[in-house]
Amino acid sequence: MAPPAGLRVLAVDDLPPALDELCRLLREAPEVAEVAAAGDPLGALKMIQAERFDAVFLDISMPGLDGLELASLLAKLSEPPVIVFVTAYDGHAVAAYGIGAVDYLLKPVRAERLSSALAKVIRMVSAGEPASLPKQALPDAMAALPVESAGRTRYVRRADVRFVEAHGDYVRLHTESGVHLVRMAISRLEEYWEGTGFVRVHRGYLVALSAVRELRSDSAGGLLANTDIGDVPVSRRHSRELRERLLRAAQRGQLDRQGR
Amino acid sequence: MVMPVPDETLSHGRFRHWRSPSRTDTVATLSAARTISDDLKDGLASPRARRAARALRKLLDVEGLGMADLSGATLWAGQPSADTETAALLEDVLHTEAPSGRPPLVALPLHVSDELIGVLVVSGPTTMAAVREAAALVVHALERGRLEASADQAAQAELRALRAEISPHFVYNALTVIASQVRSDPDRARDLMLDFADYTRYSLARHGEYTMLSEEFHAIETYLALQRAVLGERLHVQVRVAPEVLAVAVPYLVLEPLVENAIRHGIEPRSGTGLVQVKGEAEGNECVISVEDDGVGMDPDKAKAILAGRGDAESVGLANVDRRLRSVYGPWFGLVVETAVGAGTRVVVRVPRFQPGVMP
Repeated sequence: MAPPAGLRVLAVDDLPPALDELCRLLREAPEVAEVAAAGDPLGALKMIQAERFDAVFLDISMPGLDGLELASLLAKLSEPPVIVFVTAYDGHAVAAYGIGAVDYLLKPVRAERLSSALAKVIRMVSAGEPASLPKQALPDAMAALPVESAGRTRYVRRADVRFVEAHGDYVRLHTESGVHLVRMAISRLEEYWEGTGFVRVHRGYLVALSAVRELRSDSAGGLLANTDIGDVPVSRRHSRELRERLLRAAQRGQLDRQGR
Repeated sequence: MVMPVPDETLSHGRFRHWRSPSRTDTVATLSAARTISDDLKDGLASPRARRAARALRKLLDVEGLGMADLSGATLWAGQPSADTETAALLEDVLHTEAPSGRPPLVALPLHVSDELIGVLVVSGPTTMAAVREAAALVVHALERGRLEASADQAAQAELRALRAEISPHFVYNALTVIASQVRSDPDRARDLMLDFADYTRYSLARHGEYTMLSEEFHAIETYLALQRAVLGERLHVQVRVAPEVLAVAVPYLVLEPLVENAIRHGIEPRSGTGLVQVKGEAEGNECVISVEDDGVGMDPDKAKAILAGRGDAESVGLANVDRRLRSVYGPWFGLVVETAVGAGTRVVVRVPRFQPGVMP
């Protein structure tokens, strides 16, 4: 979770329009409380020495001291800020991650992409705080969920669930044998199931990666994940993650059809 | 040429072919020459050159045989000849580029494509003719190796030259639409600009020959988002991809020229709306990608001519993709075009899901 006060970030770029644009996007991001700007690397260095920033968004190609060099200097500070590179050309990624950057954004920057970078920053910032609780390893108590039907309690196995739909305080579990209603918030179920092959694809939907038979997009630019029992809407914000998770599963050969 | 015959072969041969030098000997000699030639393919510095030197010494039946590079460093098989004598001989040949000495110690220059690349030294009783033949064998093998290497390079260069190029027609249409929206709908103009940045970034990417199908599909979605802005309601699109083919490696920009072709030739030339369907799915060990439009179609003979590279300048993209696919996967993996006048066009790409050497 974001620190209650929000992030203090510094944007560094030697090109004024690029700097303005980056600052504007950062200001619009709900995770960010304060945005400072530096138009040259030395100015940035002075600001970072004078005050504390949670994260620095750094252009790579700048005259004098380039972003990669500045980042290596910052890494020597006792409490270095989190580094995110912002660059027009993607030939530096390897060097950037070598320095320990948490993310690498390409200009022009998309708001969705910036928000996923900010999520990484927040994870880094809160991991550094002693107060943050280690995530408890939960016993896998959610491999099956109890559902009431006609006064009887039966269990729906997670492995049978193709997708989950939010329905007020309830979730609807879509399985081949039908739809089952369980009283639980979808965000709660997401926490329990996220390590077991389920992905949030929409505010109101979770889908099992192994159930996705096809990704469909249409004229309006909307994306659907098709399963054998119906289509699941995928929001623009979640489409990147779904594609990446599916790609990783495909690379590991986990998607070869088992009768689905 | 003197044929040294190992004793055991000789006695073995005597039983069956008791008069002539046996057929077995001929086979053994030809096969030795072929192996030597193969082992020398990668040059004198390759690890297999030592084996070639040993085999060649055996074939000549001499005490020692050496192959020297231009610095005089010599790879010996058998008994090396006396250092001082050999050094003087090598020096002489490297300077004059002409044979020096006579059996039992002789050195011959090795000229590959008129260029001195080394020296063959033979020590032991033999004939000048035999040494000359041996040198010729070495030179032929080295020349063949060079030709093969340059043929490989030429194929690589051709593949690079065949890289799909960004289409000016599309670029200016997209920029026009963005310019028109800047004032009326700045947010939409910004979104389109970001799509345009993604499109050019992908098309201009120069890292590696291959990419993953997931990237190709992402690229066509960006492309289609821009095309929808350009063509508006006239263009309907359906993209369907099965997740299990997302990780399949393919050459860069195989898909986009096909989609562009469907729009340019299927949708743009007619009034009213058109539908373009793109589909990627697994079929056993193959990945099948199809791009289909319900547009004007064409005479199948014209499609054939386009694939053969005899189409108009605007159809270059299709022929280009076809050639790249065949050069990467082999002659069976070219494009398949199903079309007829008025019946739309369907272009099918079939690639192996796993192909050695093809990785992003």
